[in-house]
Amino acid sequence: MQTSILILFLILTGLALLVFVYVFMTSKGAKSSGGGIRNALKKRLWFILILFVLLGFTAWVTISKSPYYLFADEAPSQVIHVASMQFAFVLSNNSIDPDSPKGVSSIELPKNELIEFRVTSLDVNHGFAIYDASNRLIAQTQAMPGYVNRLRWKFTEPGIYHILCLEYCGMAHHGMRASITIK
Amino acid sequence: METVKIKKITALWIVVVLLLFVVSIILGILMRLNQGEIIHHSPVTFYGNMTTHGLTMIGIWFVAGMAGVNYLMQRYVTVSLWPNMTGLIFTAIGVILLWVSTFIGDFHAGWTFLYPLPFKVMWASWATPMFLCSLTVMGVGWLIWSLGMVMQLLKRYSISQVFAWQHFGKNPKVETPPFVLISMITLVGVIASLLAAVVLLILYFMEFFSNSSFVNDALLMKNLTYFFGHTIANEMLYLGLAVLYELFSEVSGRPKWKTTWYIAVSWNLSLVFILTAFFHHLYMDFVQPEGLQIVGQLASYLASLPAAGVTVFSVIIAVYRTKIKWSLTNLLFFIGVAGWVVGGLGALIDATISNNFVLHNTLWVPAHFHTYNVMGNVLFSLAFFHWFAMQFANNNITERFAKTKLGLLILGGAGFLAVFYLGGAESIPRRYSNYPAEFPSAQVLAYVGAIFATVYLIAILFFFLNISKRCVKIMFSSSS
Ligand code: HEM
Ligand SMILES: [Cu+2]
Repeated sequence: MQTSILILFLILTGLALLVFVYVFMTSKGAKSSGGGIRNALKKRLWFILILFVLLGFTAWVTISKSPYYLFADEAPSQVIHVASMQFAFVLSNNSIDPDSPKGVSSIELPKNELIEFRVTSLDVNHGFAIYDASNRLIAQTQAMPGYVNRLRWKFTEPGIYHILCLEYCGMAHHGMRASITIK
Repeated sequence: METVKIKKITALWIVVVLLLFVVSIILGILMRLNQGEIIHHSPVTFYGNMTTHGLTMIGIWFVAGMAGVNYLMQRYVTVSLWPNMTGLIFTAIGVILLWVSTFIGDFHAGWTFLYPLPFKVMWASWATPMFLCSLTVMGVGWLIWSLGMVMQLLKRYSISQVFAWQHFGKNPKVETPPFVLISMITLVGVIASLLAAVVLLILYFMEFFSNSSFVNDALLMKNLTYFFGHTIANEMLYLGLAVLYELFSEVSGRPKWKTTWYIAVSWNLSLVFILTAFFHHLYMDFVQPEGLQIVGQLASYLASLPAAGVTVFSVIIAVYRTKIKWSLTNLLFFIGVAGWVVGGLGALIDATISNNFVLHNTLWVPAHFHTYNVMGNVLFSLAFFHWFAMQFANNNITERFAKTKLGLLILGGAGFLAVFYLGGAESIPRRYSNYPAEFPSAQVLAYVGAIFATVYLIAILFFFLNISKRCVKIMFSSSS
């Protein structure tokens, strides 16, 4: 995912910069100040229309892939409760009592089964981000005090997945972690 | 008298902004060096620097845009000094309070100070109220400044004229200059965002003084925070664009740009998009109503249409095969537009919810917003600063080293940004004082980023010396 995003970005950036460099060169080479572009308004409107169609198409394709709709019509086989706090995650099969949070920081989960993470925070905002065995970010949701975010995910590869905090939560933010082992 | 004073206060603004910019860049380089394990700050120092850097940068480039717009506005309306002066005094107090709260009080909740982090005190207990006061002072000062400017515009133009609504039809009787239209649209956005900040701060203070009998709602506070933060960060770029619309053709020796129906329509529409795009900051809060998430993606996409189709397109056709008097001023504008476009592409990618799922709060975020600041908005303001300083210079030797300066600026900026993008694609988190062992490339990237940022800093120092020398002269000249 990230690799294709980067490639897309590099292509678009390359194209945009080419246009700027090219336009600059045409100005450098211009003899009179007349020159310019003909039918500018028509070209402008075409440009806007094409952009509008492209963006509309992209929105149409991507919005349905939003995480809110992930596995929405399946029933999860397991629910994992996640309570985040400065500076640790507590994971549990049972719902977690905010006054005495009990749970573990590393769990085992089965492969190819739908898991629902119910993520909340007991103090400030945190981020619950799942990194796969090659340390690539594959899914995330925020952990917000007073709210429960439900993230559904199916792990297809066995291995050790790390959970990192992806919302700045104070001085040990970068050390806040947990892990999931998929068998 | 008033014009002379405004000239002097503008000169002062420029020197202050550039000075604070140099300090903030140094903080940025220190952060990158720490992430590269070249130096070793405690996390508290790192996050304190991050907070200072972020808020100072937002503050100075906002006021730089305001000062530029305020100065050029004299061409169309009578401008009085007091709103500008208020802005200056309140900003100065605000920055001092901010720096005391972070450098001495160790406050380090990040520039977005996301609720309820400021209340989980991990610093001197007075630092939280001082930080909130700093924001209040700056917010109030900027609110007065922008309201003052709006009032001055409305003395000369009616509501429908100032928004160029008469241009929607054929053959408008009165012409609204693009500069007036864009300034007005932008100021409305600025005022909206500052009002949100006021509400946000009131809610903070209510909880602070209630001894926790009153507790805020975290989701509401986050919406308010980003309505304020996203909007102000966006509008400051549009202030830069207002200056560009006014000066680009002028310094290029070309006829002045006129308001057309599509310019009028697109700027009016862009106000709507800019005020609703902030929802993209909450994509990963799944409890936020889904409709708002989709509004966020659509508004973010739509905001790019007037930007690309009107502003960028206009700059492109103004240059295409047209003989132009190229100078440092319009080169900075032109390169700035290119930087803005590249940053916009990075932003569009991230504003797509399905991408945000794997990019949110990775280094992709500082990558794209630094692009349209470091290589966009900063260049717009530098163009204004340079133009302003040159205007009152008697000799023309100031364009010396223009190529070297631009070369260093582009090289340093591009390298600094490239490693942020690579880091984002590597899933490296943002706002980490030290990187965990999972990301072996993170330290190297940070180190390389620091080196390129230093090159950028050298270019900025060149600009700083050259421009501020002249501005100091302007400040202390006795007559006009
Ligand atoms: C060459 C100049 C600059 C350098 C070296 C620099 C460096 C940095 C670094 C290292 C970070 C922390 C990144 C992270 O999350 O790990 C950062 C954050 C930030 N920078 Fe810059 N920056 C520069 C210019 C700017 C400019 C021109 C702006 C203008 C708006 C800006 C605004 C910010 C903001 C708002 C943050 C976020 C702070 C936070 O997370 O609370 N920076 N910068
Ligand atoms: Cu955390």
